[in-house]
Formats: sequence, structure tokens, C-alpha cells
Amino acid sequence: MEAEAETCHPRPRRSLALSLWTAMMVVALILGNALLAKPSLADEIMTPRKQVPSAFSGWLDEDVGPFPGVVAPEGTYEGKDVEQPIEFPHDLHTATNKINCLYCHTYARRSAVAGIPPTSKCMGCHSIIATDRPRIKQLTEYWDKGQSPPWKKVHDLPDYVRFTHERHLKKFLFDNPDMTVERVDEVCALCHGDVTKMTVAKKQKPLTMGFCTRCHQANGGTFDCQKCHK
Amino acid sequence: MSKSEFDRRDFLKVMGVSGVAATVAGCDMPSYITSEEGAEEVIPYLSPEEYVIPGVGVWYASTCLQCPAGCGIRGRVREGRVLKLEGNPTMSLNSGKLCQMGQSALQSHYNPDRLTTPLMRKDGALAEATWEDALALMEEKTGPSSGISGHRFAWYTGSVSGHQNVLLKAHLEAMGSSNHFVHEVINTRVWQAVCKEMLGQSMPTLRIDKAGLVLSFGADFLGTWMSPIQFSAQYAAFRSGDERGMLIQAEPSMSLTGANADLWVAVRPGTEGIMALGLANVLIHKERMDASVLPPETQELIARYNVSITSRITGIAGDRLIRIARHLKNRSPSLVLAGGPAAGHTTGFEAVQAAMMLNILLGNVGETIEANADFAFPQLAALGGGTTDLNRFAHAAGSGQLDALFFDGSNPLFGAPDHMNLNEKFDAIPFKVAFSTFMDETTARADVVLPIASAIEDWGTHVAAYQNEQHEIAFQQPLMEPIHPLTRSFGDLLLALNAMRSPGTYDEIDDYYGYLQSALGAIPGVLKGEDAAEDDPLDIQLWNQILQDGRLEVPAETSLFTTSVSIKDITSPPTDEAFPYYLVPTPRSSLYDGRHANLPWLQEAPDQISKVVWTSWAEIHPVTASKLGLEEGDLIRITSASGVLEVPVYIFKGIHTDVVCVPMGQGHTEYGRYAKGRGVNPLKILDPGEDTRTGELALYGTRVGLAAAGRAGRMVKMGNTESQHGRKIVATITAEQQRRNEGES
Repeated sequence: MEAEAETCHPRPRRSLALSLWTAMMVVALILGNALLAKPSLADEIMTPRKQVPSAFSGWLDEDVGPFPGVVAPEGTYEGKDVEQPIEFPHDLHTATNKINCLYCHTYARRSAVAGIPPTSKCMGCHSIIATDRPRIKQLTEYWDKGQSPPWKKVHDLPDYVRFTHERHLKKFLFDNPDMTVERVDEVCALCHGDVTKMTVAKKQKPLTMGFCTRCHQANGGTFDCQKCHK
Repeated sequence: MSKSEFDRRDFLKVMGVSGVAATVAGCDMPSYITSEEGAEEVIPYLSPEEYVIPGVGVWYASTCLQCPAGCGIRGRVREGRVLKLEGNPTMSLNSGKLCQMGQSALQSHYNPDRLTTPLMRKDGALAEATWEDALALMEEKTGPSSGISGHRFAWYTGSVSGHQNVLLKAHLEAMGSSNHFVHEVINTRVWQAVCKEMLGQSMPTLRIDKAGLVLSFGADFLGTWMSPIQFSAQYAAFRSGDERGMLIQAEPSMSLTGANADLWVAVRPGTEGIMALGLANVLIHKERMDASVLPPETQELIARYNVSITSRITGIAGDRLIRIARHLKNRSPSLVLAGGPAAGHTTGFEAVQAAMMLNILLGNVGETIEANADFAFPQLAALGGGTTDLNRFAHAAGSGQLDALFFDGSNPLFGAPDHMNLNEKFDAIPFKVAFSTFMDETTARADVVLPIASAIEDWGTHVAAYQNEQHEIAFQQPLMEPIHPLTRSFGDLLLALNAMRSPGTYDEIDDYYGYLQSALGAIPGVLKGEDAAEDDPLDIQLWNQILQDGRLEVPAETSLFTTSVSIKDITSPPTDEAFPYYLVPTPRSSLYDGRHANLPWLQEAPDQISKVVWTSWAEIHPVTASKLGLEEGDLIRITSASGVLEVPVYIFKGIHTDVVCVPMGQGHTEYGRYAKGRGVNPLKILDPGEDTRTGELALYGTRVGLAAAGRAGRMVKMGNTESQHGRKIVATITAEQQRRNEGES
């Protein structure tokens, strides 16, 4: 290959204008942050609401969180009522009949997604239990047609976020010596609210990046960008 | 410029303000912007599928059919959908690696232009039909009661191997025909013929990794030649050994392999063989190498090509030839390869012979060229295609020898030069059936079109034409259920056709899967013990293991080389005043021979040499460009005795000054929304001519005239400038400076 001839290219004047514009942008960013009466972006992400040890090994006193070994993430959200094809009563299943969340959402411990239970699982009980109730009749109609009810998704994250149920259950439940699997609903409640008091699920936590990062900071979660944005 | 009142300044202001707002709000942005409640449906399985955990991918092994190399793949399947392909690490052929063409098989599978329903020609146009009607018509035309005479029936396919080949042969036999045309534009038939004649076996094992120097006459072994993934792995070892291997590439226009070479030599097309003879001359007469391995006639022939004569014919400077010969001698063992550009002339066989003669002279045979074995199951061995079969087919179709034609996996009407008039000849065949996944040029002219399953939805066994010392059968298994319910497996259709012609023979077999299982069970020691009786059950665990590995190892007993050298003189191409330039239609490791032009990933992947996307271009040397008064992007008119092309030019130095290179792959008149009407097809203007020994088309022998078309074309290229504008981003020095500083290497 031959060497390139050294040529002198004058820097165009436009680059001066661009530099100025960039500088103005930086100033505007700082001013904008200061003017809006809100903690700065960095504060928002990095400052925990409660000062707690952030290392994974530093499990906390029981009185800090809702259950041993966790600081609950702060933030609430008033979700809208989502109309489902069948008004599924979470409260009846969990609170009244004491069915464990993981019995139906069986994939949560093995996968990124918790999974909506296959319709065959519903019919496992409801081919004999409460078959005369209108909602069960509705379910049986779907089953007889060979279809699953077209459930609506309530808890959704943007496509550029990778959240895994498996990892969170491992940390808060299975690797937590002070927790038992019977209390899994308390773990679910961190992000889903108290489902034992709901009929159809309703979003009760903001599930924003701020919500996630506050919890990660407080509980020693990862801050590697690529873990969630891969 | 724009007359809008919203000028650039305002735009930047708005962008600045909104940018700040978005950044500040980013982390606790209300979730109705980023996610929606109740907007999407989430439908569970009716009953849970075995092995399926929603959200967890499972990898299944299969075989890549994007080119004839036959690499093993693994596909990641999640919720019943294949999402990603990678190389299969258990396959010795590609040891876990996969090229961009292989990765893009997904787009072939999910392509919106897939054929989804059978079609039949009614009143001159193809119209939707049912499978029953299509198969009934096929039975009427080619079934036992059709009265068709066997030798007037033909199959036309691409390279084929494994049990598909067994069933194809069985069908041809049942029809009483021996007409099987196997078409592959990019092939190594000349190389194989030379190896067979000079070494006694057509596919010896090549060991780039063991060579100290590789001299390649246009063999693009990193891109499209023979088994590029395997050779790339060898090449990595070759370059990273204690002593870094040296690569010299001699070709008329730079290939991907040429771009990686330490020394790239622009050789006048058709004179590669003479260059090899000239190098032998220097080795024998200047470097005093022992020539006793060569017969006296060959020595005499070599003696005729001294440095000055070779230099005059090939256009390569004499001192450069001497230097290459010296490297060849000093960096033993070397390896000399010859690919398409050397083989694609009327004297292609002789040119490749001359290259192989260098291997024998240099003592490479047995060192970097190792003896291999014939495949243990000849009925499964690869039936590699070539362009000879295209010529034979054109002749058979043109002389009215065919009444019915079934074709699969090949697109002859795209690959055939215009001078063959293949469209008219093809139309003259009374009954043509296409087994296709896409509406390509050939399928569009069929009388019956059968939509077949994609490679990702089908079963099959494949044996690569080039096997290394570890022979293996590659297994193709479906990575997911068929997307389109009316498509059918090619293997199932072959079984149905065979059952149609030979009633009773295949009664006990349900489908192609069952056929594969019983066929493998019939091989002793594979799925049953060596001494098993015919009705002993299969070892299902062993079968599952084969499917999990995606391969079955096959014993290979190496046979010895039988070396013989008998080389004829090579006539260099005459000068042609009307057509002073040579057309080089090179293949690239993206659109390949045009079969991948319907895959957007490959269309948008910048070409390895020119960085052009989504269209055709012609590469010419800056000297040629200034002679013709052309600048980059201008349209150039390329005229051969057989046709004319107009295409934008890309100007760079990696090409001979007498050459214009137009990569093949574009110029489709059918083949779906991504391929149709894009660029030009250089194969269309090729002149008649074939290698006198093998009959392969002389793809690189077409002479053309060049002229400026007088207007600019449209060519999109990644990276606007190829100059560093003096900024020394990559520091370079001339080869001459390097020699002065470092001495002769």
C-alpha cells in the first residue's frame, strides 16, 4: 500500500459554530437541572432513600424492610383498571385459598418471565371445582374451543429493558436464609404490590428506571448498564 | 435550500431544549410513555409444551444450507420460534463458527415473500391451487399411466447430498431417466478434476495452518471458495503461529482473501497458469530446485517461460516474480491454491494444473496437501454442481429432448448468460414443476409451483463435498414448526413422488423423518449393533444423541496419493481491439451467486471491498477511470459481444488496469421485494466459452469494451471518503520504504 500524501485541509469555520453550540448545550443542561426543582439525574439514581450497606452480603435488620434481607423500593403508582377476558380473582386464590404464587406462575423461578399459567393448569382444578360459577363457565368455554383466554398484559417493560424474575427470586427468596418459599407473595409484592388484595392485577409500582435503581442501590444490586440494557 | 421559516437555527434550539427536558426527566419518566398496561395480549399455552419454559432459549442443532459448504449450525429457539443461529461447535467442519450468509438464514425463513400455497398455471398465469390438484396434475403428467418416456424426464437441482440424493436417484430410476442436472455457479469442479488427475483423489485435505506461505491464484478461501469457515480457522492459526505465515494472492481483482494478503498481485486474466509456470522456471533455474519430480516434457515447457516472457504475458514485474519464487522456496512447506478466476477460462484446467505442479515441485503434496478418503457411503456423498450442467441442460431443452422437468434449489434462468436463450428453451419444455421457497426467475416460469418448507423447518442429511480428515454426516432438523401451514417438506414430497412411481415400496414409512430413522438404522453400527437383525429396534438414545450433536461421525480410511504430472501449454488470451477489457463477475460472501439477494441483512451489509450496499457497482482501476473520464458513482457502459450493462463505478487500486469487476448477485427480475429490480447481473452478458477439459463455463473469459455512459448513477456506500486527508489515522508507508527499512523479508 502506498503512503498517503500529506495534504493540508483547513478546518472549516462551521466547526467553531458547532463547538459553541455544544458548549451552550452543556450549560443549558446544567441550568435546566438546577432550574427544575428536582434532584439531579445523578442524585436520583445514586442516592438511596435510606442509608443502608449496599454490598450483597450486607443483609439488613428485620425492621428496615418488609421482610428480612430487603429494603423495599420507594415509589407508588396508580395503575389503570385493565379489563381482562375473565375477571380473575387473585385474592380468592392467594388470600382465601392460600395458593402459592409460584404454583401458577411457575416459570418465575426458572426464567426471565413469570409466565401466565397454561390453561390446562386452570382446568386441572376447575374441571371439578366451582364449575357452576359464571367465570369458570367462561373459562370452560375457552377450554372447550381449544383456546386460551387472551389475557391483557398489565406489567410491561420497554423492549430495551431485560428484567429477569429468576435472578430476583434467587436473591430475595432462595438465597435468603431468613425467607421461606411460603412467603413468596411478599417478594412479588416489592414490584407488583399486594396481589393478595386484588382481583385482576393492577399496576401499583412505577417500574421506572429510578424505581429499579433505588432498589438496586439499597439492596446491593448491579449497576452494570449492560445487565439490564443488553 | 429550504424556504421553510423553520430554519436550521430554530431546529437546533428546539432540539436543545427538548433534549435537556428529556434527559432530566429520563429516569422517572411516567411509565405510560415506556410501557403500556393492557395494550398487549399475553396468551398462555393451552397445555404446556414439553421442554418449553417461556423466556428461556433452547439450542437445537441443524445444518446450514445457505451455500454448499454444509456447516453445522445451532438455533436458539424460544417459545417455539427460532431467534438466532450460530455455528455448531461439535461439527469439525466449522467448529462453532458461522458466516454472515449462515446467520441470515433466519431472514430466508421469516421472509415475507415466501411461497405459501401451491400455484398452477391457468390461462397463462400462475394461480392458487390445492395440493390435491397440483399432485394430481403431476401424476397425470409423470405418473405410471402418463406414458412419459423416462429419458424425457429430468431433475434440475443445486448441489445435493445425503438421503435427499438417495431419494432423487430412486425417483429418477423409477422414471427410467438418468437426467439429473446439478447446477452451481460458484464451484470447484476444475480444481477437483485437476486433483483427481494429478493426485489421484478429487478432494485432498488442505492444511493452510501447516503452511509457511500460501500462494493463491484467485482462490477466495476466506470468502466463497470451497469451505471458507473451516479455512478461516486454519488461516487464523497460520497467521498466529511462531512464525507468521505469509499470504500472496494473485488475481485480476481483489477478493476478501486478497485484501488480507501480505502481497497482492494484479495478474492479467487468463495468465495465472503462465505465472505459475514462470515461478517454476525461477525456482528451477535461479533457485536451483530439484526438478526431477517433474517429467521432462513439463520441464521443457517450464523452461520456455523465463522471467522476461512471463513478465510480458502476465503483466507482473520480473523482480516481483523472482521475489515470490524466493519466498516460496524459503518458507517451505508452502501451499499453492487456484480458484475461480484462474479456472474460469477456456484454459482453466491447464492453469490449475500449473498451480498444482508448483505444489508437487515444492514438495507440498503430503505436507500441506494431505491425502483424504472417499466418503464411506458413496450413495450419500455430495453431488457437487457446476456450470457444465447448465450448458448440458440448455442443449437438452433447446433440442426438445425434455417433456417434463422438476427443479429444486437452483435458479438456472438467473445464472444463465443471455447467449444461451434459456428462457425460450425453458418455456418450450411442456411440463415444469418448481419445488421452491421463493418466486425466483425460474419458478415464475413453471407450470406447477410447490411451496416447500424452509431449511429451518425441514429434515435432511447432508454430506459436505469438502470434508477434512474427520468425515461426518450433518443432520438438518426443524428448529420450529412450519410458519405457513400449506408448505411441505421436500423429503416428504420426494417420498410421495417415489410412492407414486413405485407403489408399495414406501408403504411402511410415514414421513421423511421416519425414512431417515429407518435408513440410518439400516447402516450397521449406527443405530443398532453391528450384528443386529433387520427387525431389531433402533437405539433411540443413540438417535437422540445424533440429533443433539447434529452430526454423525463416519470412518474414513485414507487412500494414498498417486502423483502424475502432464501439463499442456497455455495459450494466453489474444488482444482484442473491439473489446480490450476483461469482465470479472466475482462472487462475494454475501449475495453469493444471487441466491441471497432477497435477504435485507446481506443487502445492507457493506461489501467487503467497496462498502457499497443494496445495489451493483463496477470496480475499475484509477488509471482506467481517468482514461475513460469517469469519477466514482458515474455510470459506465460495459459492452460485450453478448450484451450491455450500465452500472455506477467504484474506483480503487486493487484491480488490474485491463479489468472491470462487477460482483454477481444483483439484477433479479423476480425474487421478492428486496431483490427485484435492483442492480445488474453480470452473468447475463458473458460470452460463450468453456474450459476445454471440464466443460465448465469460462466465467472470467468475457472480453468487454468500456465507455462512460455520460451521467451519474446512484450508489450508496458506507464511509464517504477513502482518504485520511493527511490525519494519519492509520499510518502507512510504501512497500519500497518498508524494504529499505527492514530489508528483504
